[in-house]
Amino acid sequence: MPLRLLLGPQRPIVNLDSAVARSGIGDGPIGVISAAWQEAEGDIDDVQRLVLNPLFDLRIYERTEELFAADKRLHEAYRLRQDRLKEQQRLYRMRLRHLMVAARQTLRTEGEPAVVAAERRHAISQLRALDRHHLGQIEKVHARFDSVFTADSHALLSEYTAAIEDELSRFKTVLITGGNVVVLMNRLRLFGLDRLLQRKNIIAWSAGAMVLCDHIVLFHDRMPQGRRDPEIVDEGMGLLPSIVLLPDAKGRLRAKDLVRVKLLSRRFAPASCMTLDNGSLLLFESETLRDSEAAKRITRNGSFKRVRAA
Amino acid sequence: MNPTLRKLLRKGTPEPVDIDALIGELDFPLVDGPDVTFVFRGTADEVYLRCWISGLDTAQPFQALPGTDLWATTIELPKGSRIEYKFEVIAGGARELILDPLNDVIAHDPFGSNSVCQGYGYVRPEWTLHDPLARVGSLQSLRVDSSVFQESREVQVYLPATFRSNRRYPLLIVHDGVDYLRYADLKAVLDNLTHRLEIPSIIAALIQSPDRLKEYGGDDRHAAFLVDDLLPFMNEAYPLLGGADARCLMGASFGGVAALHAAWRFPEQFGSLLLQSGSFAFSDLGRHRRGPVFDPVVRFMNEFREHPGRPADRIFMSCGMYESLIYENRSLVPHLQAQGMELRFEEARDAHNWENWRDRLRIGLSWLMPGPAWMVYE
Repeated sequence: MPLRLLLGPQRPIVNLDSAVARSGIGDGPIGVISAAWQEAEGDIDDVQRLVLNPLFDLRIYERTEELFAADKRLHEAYRLRQDRLKEQQRLYRMRLRHLMVAARQTLRTEGEPAVVAAERRHAISQLRALDRHHLGQIEKVHARFDSVFTADSHALLSEYTAAIEDELSRFKTVLITGGNVVVLMNRLRLFGLDRLLQRKNIIAWSAGAMVLCDHIVLFHDRMPQGRRDPEIVDEGMGLLPSIVLLPDAKGRLRAKDLVRVKLLSRRFAPASCMTLDNGSLLLFESETLRDSEAAKRITRNGSFKRVRAA
Repeated sequence: MNPTLRKLLRKGTPEPVDIDALIGELDFPLVDGPDVTFVFRGTADEVYLRCWISGLDTAQPFQALPGTDLWATTIELPKGSRIEYKFEVIAGGARELILDPLNDVIAHDPFGSNSVCQGYGYVRPEWTLHDPLARVGSLQSLRVDSSVFQESREVQVYLPATFRSNRRYPLLIVHDGVDYLRYADLKAVLDNLTHRLEIPSIIAALIQSPDRLKEYGGDDRHAAFLVDDLLPFMNEAYPLLGGADARCLMGASFGGVAALHAAWRFPEQFGSLLLQSGSFAFSDLGRHRRGPVFDPVVRFMNEFREHPGRPADRIFMSCGMYESLIYENRSLVPHLQAQGMELRFEEARDAHNWENWRDRLRIGLSWLMPGPAWMVYE
């Protein structure tokens, strides 16, 4: 069964080396996907110094740039897709803001317990309905693009995908770094890596871990312009179902704002919201949790409980 | 009286050497919590503090300290305040406005320079200073042929450090752009905010009018210049994202009026506006009292307040609490909100100056043009 080793932020590297050693992943070569670093892709010297396994960057970001430069039609279609996704996100955010305000107000308000509880449930169900709708719209945008640009029907894309698949076959384990989670997911999807990575052991931190979930939830309560409401930005690879991963939660979440935290947990239930802070570790064997350290789960009451392996 | 000065005078008339020592040891003005004491040393008949801030007397008299050549005056400044000032020294019938000789902190603007008093709790934001880790963008100087003004106009274009011709970028148009570079460290701010992922990589067109009081005061020609000359030029020369939501107009003082006016004259051209201490003078009844240069501004603002339309989707406004324009800025807020525009208004304990505008750039730009920090999980 493939292993999934998930870690918190590693800039600078905190526990990658010790976690890999303790995971039982073995000592073979590891393929690296550092596309989330964009122009800095492949800058893995500090990782290589600490991890004993030989590392080989798959240059997913660079390959995408090459492919776009060579295939203007694909590039234009990709841009168009991104524009549609941005527009979809803008409209979702517009509606989300109001539902979030309403849901927070119902969580704060007092009154006849049974009446208030019913309104809270409904407010949260409306949020979930919007999230579902948004995911459906995103899926449609992807489907439209994918129906035209499949690896089978598009020669150059097919060539690149085959080359990556060929390289990937050398590795039992793939390491996915943190970075820009949207860029990462887009690149993985373009080359069908969501399919190719299913049987691999995966070591991933931060953004790299987020893309393994069912969907990718962006969150940040400490932006310079103020807190933002958590929003679903895309589907993930679905390798870790029913988990929402929250890297650097200590830095990004206002954990003391009980209503916000509670709402986060209830909105995405039954999925479990888990933090991945500095030094955290979660090790799954397929979908079963085998080991954990310092990772926490947010309860429906907004408290943080240590995640424990069965 | 300030405790340090009181101590100096407690033992009678201090020797000049004691005064020299005191001046050498301390930073001026003397900030003691909310009390700020300004000190002038020299021969004079009268000395005044001139700080042109709303809420204080225009000229605050100094008191001569007996037996010395020191003059002092104390004002109260709330936490986090920052004001600019000069001393007015009257001696032998001559009247002179000078910088504070005991204070090295100076702010510059197109009209000269002022001494700066940083009240307790004010710290210059670190993101306004050069960050050696931030990759630096570049500036290009180009000329735009203007069909509107029948001449070519210089525009400085800021390109982000990671500029690539195969990417597309949002556009920020900055009124008084060269002044923003010079007096508000705009380049360092853009470099830093981009580096911190707080704003996306953007292209900025920095424009400078040869006659700003006229062209920025609600002049249709300027609005047409932006839309008919500058935008097509920028679209031709650079890879810009299409659509109004990727275009932001920015300006301070009269530049704020120019930005609002252009967006009003050409709705749906600019998705967002960043308006700093806009000179939004208006008159509900009778004539305004701000002088003839404001006549076209008041005409425009009166019309705007009557028929605001929807000049942009998102507007960030900021204004110093110590500016006379705070009233006009505050009163514009409900007018804009009533149109369903998304609006954010920030007040600062500062006055009508470039450093105030500099210090508000982070919140304004990152709110209007949020960067990818939101999507980056290292």
